[in-house]
Amino acid sequence: MHSELDPLTRRRLLQGALALGSLTAIGDAVATAREATGRAAARLDWNAILRESRGQSVYFNAWAGDEAVNRFIGWTAAEVRRRFGITLTHVRVNDPAEAVTRIVAERRAGRLRDGSMDLLWINGENFAALRAADLLYGPWADDVPHAALLDRERNPTIVRDFTIPTEGYELAWGNSRFTFFYDSARVARPPTDPPSLLEWIRANPGRFTYPQPPQFHGTSFLKQILLAMHTDREPFARPAAADFAALSAPLWAWLDAAHPALWRAGRAFPASGPAQRRLLGDGEVDWAMGFNSAEASRAIASGEFPASIRSLRFRAGALSNSHFVAIPFNARARAGAMVVANFLISPEAQARKADERYWGDATVLALERLTPADRALFASLRMGPATLPPTGPVLDEPHPSWMIALEREWARRYRGG
Amino acid sequence: MKAALLLAAIGLLPVLAGLAGTIAPALDPAVWPELAATPGLSRSIALSLGTGLSSALLSLALAHGLLAALASRPALGFARALALPLIAMPHLALAIGVALVLAPSGLIVRLLSPWLTGFEQPPDWATIQDPLGLALVAGLVLKETPFLLLALTAALAQVPAERLLLQTRTLGYGRLRGWLVAVAPALQKQIRLPFAAVVVFGIGNVDVALALGPTTPPPLAILIWEWFLDPDLTRAPLAAAGSMLLVALCTAVLALCALGARAGGVWLRASAASGWRAERDRGARGALLGLGGLCALLGLFALLALWLRSIAPAWRFPQVWPMAPGLAAWREGSALLGAALPTTALLGTVSVLLALLLCVAAAESLRARPRARARLAALLFAPLLVPQLSFLYGLQVLLVRLRLDASWLAVVWSHLVYVLPYVFGFVAAARAAIEPRYRDVALTLGASPVRAFTAVTLPMLGRPLLLAAALGFAVSVALYLPTLFAGAGRFATLATEAAATVAAGNLRAAAVAAAVMATLPLAALSAALVAGNALHRHRRGMPS
Repeated sequence: MHSELDPLTRRRLLQGALALGSLTAIGDAVATAREATGRAAARLDWNAILRESRGQSVYFNAWAGDEAVNRFIGWTAAEVRRRFGITLTHVRVNDPAEAVTRIVAERRAGRLRDGSMDLLWINGENFAALRAADLLYGPWADDVPHAALLDRERNPTIVRDFTIPTEGYELAWGNSRFTFFYDSARVARPPTDPPSLLEWIRANPGRFTYPQPPQFHGTSFLKQILLAMHTDREPFARPAAADFAALSAPLWAWLDAAHPALWRAGRAFPASGPAQRRLLGDGEVDWAMGFNSAEASRAIASGEFPASIRSLRFRAGALSNSHFVAIPFNARARAGAMVVANFLISPEAQARKADERYWGDATVLALERLTPADRALFASLRMGPATLPPTGPVLDEPHPSWMIALEREWARRYRGG
Repeated sequence: MKAALLLAAIGLLPVLAGLAGTIAPALDPAVWPELAATPGLSRSIALSLGTGLSSALLSLALAHGLLAALASRPALGFARALALPLIAMPHLALAIGVALVLAPSGLIVRLLSPWLTGFEQPPDWATIQDPLGLALVAGLVLKETPFLLLALTAALAQVPAERLLLQTRTLGYGRLRGWLVAVAPALQKQIRLPFAAVVVFGIGNVDVALALGPTTPPPLAILIWEWFLDPDLTRAPLAAAGSMLLVALCTAVLALCALGARAGGVWLRASAASGWRAERDRGARGALLGLGGLCALLGLFALLALWLRSIAPAWRFPQVWPMAPGLAAWREGSALLGAALPTTALLGTVSVLLALLLCVAAAESLRARPRARARLAALLFAPLLVPQLSFLYGLQVLLVRLRLDASWLAVVWSHLVYVLPYVFGFVAAARAAIEPRYRDVALTLGASPVRAFTAVTLPMLGRPLLLAAALGFAVSVALYLPTLFAGAGRFATLATEAAATVAAGNLRAAAVAAAVMATLPLAALSAALVAGNALHRHRRGMPS
């Protein structure tokens, strides 16, 4: 596992640990994690876990930027209470990274048990950081009952999170494809590659923008543009290194050309994907972006978007990833967290999650492995006017180090004013 | 005396411990070059200083000007009545509301479109989050002017303003000029601490900058806040170093303000000798009142915009009234409000009750010792002169180590740090103002000290205690950073929900939280006023 991580990430983590003056704490934490690993490796006794989880309180740290998602988690809480006697509390976070900060703070303080979080919603660089510092409990995720239904073959991102092998330390519960939302009443011929998008931006000054990196929708936009500009995407699966400058140069040239014609002339950016969605809804811009085209159909249904909003993905492919739940090394309610995680990938929860009246997030399950009754749950789903089918070419997420390098370079170029 | 010591310990310990905890990681020499290499750091610093200082000075000038124009006139009571709700409205809620008013798709442009402006789409104007931070300054001025106005009116008790003003008028000075020469210097001495708190808040705030400040680059406090929340472990020392920089900046600016006040005094004396009287200042006074009215109007609009946004599923430009208004956002938000509202209310109530208990005891023991009282008030005020960010991180680390993070004890204590100075200031002044002979008479009549206190002193303190409670409650409701850090992100209050949703850009959800958050202190204030009147109904002759 460690050999998979680039020297850059490892050095940064090590530096951090040194700066925090707690090498011994790391040693302890690692020992605890190893011990936990040993226990978990012995296959899960699911009945014992169900028994243990009854009555537990599970604190679920999850991004709370979208009300539909929050409602889904609220529904989950009601269900797991009813079915398993688990009290699930949604700890609302702005940025999944906050959870990483907290785990580190707890480790620093020597809290090796009874941590404040039981389940985390993460992926990408946050998983990489926690894994590298051995701050996750596991492996467990491949052994929960419903894990057998996961569609690992068609969705390799389920087992390789931003190129990092998950190895049972996190459980995929959704798939995402980067999607643009645009107002078809104002965008006559939708651009589907970076050059034609740039052309549209320059012809319509003030009507396009993107969320400010390092907010993840904003960083994802950078990655989407960057990957769509390259036909040889092999280098992006490796850690960003000396070739970063050369490989990212076309992106910066594109941004330099686009910025003067952006909303607020590129001097201000929306705070997040949902913030830009509001700008589109209010008519301040003609574009927004997200990871899920059902989001646009839902917004049309609620009246937030005009009916003329549509979704599009780049011809070269949509930046795609899975999102996961993980258990911190010092979680208090491991059993409860596993039961909740298993419920999140149950056919029933996945069908509700895929239903765009509730969320509309693509399922991680292989439908052919479900019982006919469970499959029927998915067959009856309706798609709204702006929803795209979860097919078409995909662009794999680059190695997490690219994300960090892109965010740093973006800040250096455009944040200093 | 014991009560006073306890009070001081409760108010100061968290700040001292927290500062120590923040300084330690900042001592790493490697972190300072990294801090210096932050893109746009000098602009961030300039922004923080510029917006903080200019908003504080503008608020001060406006507060003095308004008071000068209104002093000893019935309209002053009206202005104070207008100021109270603005004071009670949490910074964050007001800032979100102001953003909804000033934005290019905000209430003002909507009211004027398309009939006047011709806009069918919102213009691409940077009316909020502008690079110079003008919107941020406006938001801060709106919040701090009423606070300073109230501090100044309270200080009027110590300064014979009416007599001085009358004398200058007889000497032929205009109202404003007479105020500036004779009254303002004396009054200003009385409100040095509140003014310093306004300066420090302006420079170090996250609440207002989050909604109204620029982001490329943002003010320094926002950078630090982001570093504290960054997953990259190497950022924690950076945030600690940034906090220390913030403390240094605030200290330097406060020193500069002290120097400026001296220089201003010298200049005032010199200019007084010039004999310039500015008899005719009708226009200037009109402008000041107009500006004050504009502030009140903007505050009202902000509240209105919050409520409109919170009931609007869709609010397409340029509609003033949202399409299909409904309680959808409220239903969405009801789960969150269902948890956050009781937590907020309970936290405020517990903090206020504890604060009242401590402050009444301390005020009682110091009732005849004005110097000790002033010193304690100043000590309790000290935390307001330290940027919140700079000690809360250290405090969080300490709390985690003691396993007290996310405990009611920790969160209530962190609230007390901010509630105590206001409550004590209010209660101690009211207690000292009570004529001591009432108590003496009660004792002579054979009442025990306890009975003298409960039967005589306490009822006379009734109204100030109720107002202090309402004020303390408002302070507690508004606290975002202390709740976030001491509560380990697990204490969901209206403030943390509003901040999380506004930072995520979800204005509708933010509006719901902010609307409730803005209304709660107003309700507490009204309740205090009503209860105060009820208390006095059968005690007509009782002074208050």
